[in-house]
Amino acid sequence: MADQIDAWGQLLAAANAGDARAYARFLQTVTPVLRGIVRAKAGGLGVAGCEDVLQEVLLAVHLKRHTWEPGGPVRPWLYAITRYKVVDAFRARGRKIDLPIEDFAEVLAADPGPDPTEAADMAKMIGMLDGRAADIVRRIGLEGATVAETGQALTMSEGAVRVALHRALKTLAILRERHVK
Amino acid sequence: MKTDDLIRTLAADTLRPRPLMATLLLGLIPALAIALAAVWLTLGFRADIGSALVSPVSAVRIILTGILGIAAARLALVLARPEGVQAARLWPLAVVAVAALGLLLWAYVTTPAEARQMATIGKTITTCLVTIPLLSILPVASVLYTLRQGATTAPARAGFVAGLAGSGLAAAIYALHCTEDSPLFYVTWYGLAIMGITLVSTLIGARLLRW
Repeated sequence: MADQIDAWGQLLAAANAGDARAYARFLQTVTPVLRGIVRAKAGGLGVAGCEDVLQEVLLAVHLKRHTWEPGGPVRPWLYAITRYKVVDAFRARGRKIDLPIEDFAEVLAADPGPDPTEAADMAKMIGMLDGRAADIVRRIGLEGATVAETGQALTMSEGAVRVALHRALKTLAILRERHVK
Repeated sequence: MKTDDLIRTLAADTLRPRPLMATLLLGLIPALAIALAAVWLTLGFRADIGSALVSPVSAVRIILTGILGIAAARLALVLARPEGVQAARLWPLAVVAVAALGLLLWAYVTTPAEARQMATIGKTITTCLVTIPLLSILPVASVLYTLRQGATTAPARAGFVAGLAGSGLAAAIYALHCTEDSPLFYVTWYGLAIMGITLVSTLIGARLLRW
């Protein structure tokens, strides 16, 4: 457990120092843990709903990663963000409660169904970005293009793509907030 | 969008936000410099500023409001972190409040009964109650901005602390002009100004500091 915490801290510290690979590894490592927490706390929202919440959590972790105190434990920080976003998700969805997923467990088990990590909300939010920002997010996120490739395709400098991507992600968080209100 | 795709997108964004401490200082220091210049250019520092700064009776309210401001600003940096609520200790602020009330009591006892009312009313209530809030605007705004860049999970409490930080420091700057040295005056009226600003900041924080 202690090793795991240290590993997270090392990855996040490297990420905050500009190591993009370490950052991707960090996000990949914490995602299953966070997914488990979100499902335990927000199971009533259904599998896809939980994935929406999880993606909100990840976006928040990303945009607020500078609020982690280097050297401090990652877990309380990460869980505080997760908890805040799960509570937020319930508030945003008002009193509307989805049917309990347990009743459908056997059906789900029999039917492979949609990929559990497919979520709908983020795609909607990306659609609300302006054309170029949405294009950049789609190229990098859905098509797996690098920043350099995206820049070439859109005749933008790499720096401009980076700035546009950064702004797009911030806008996604703001859109999300407005959308749920 | 799949979560793996989102992770790839997030990892591609390598522009890192500024650390909160830097954000706070970059906003607060110019805000305080402007407040200081404003007092100096419009009201002027008190004529005996040199001796006032070394005389305990005059200096104590600068120290008290300054400590309040700095302690609250440090607390704001703690509350700006999502897990900061657990680590944030409000007692240093309470210590300042108790010290101020202690001074008030001491002044009440030591001031002759017939002089108490005059010492409390003073001559500059209006200036005090107008200037301290005006001087507080930029400092409070800069602390709120820092908190907005952060990720507080206690928006109202963070707004409260931002109000105390900005108005405490603003009051310390105002005290360089003000010659009302009796705690009966400054604990009452500085206190009222600080409480009013803090109330407004708490209400703003509760709305603005959600994320």
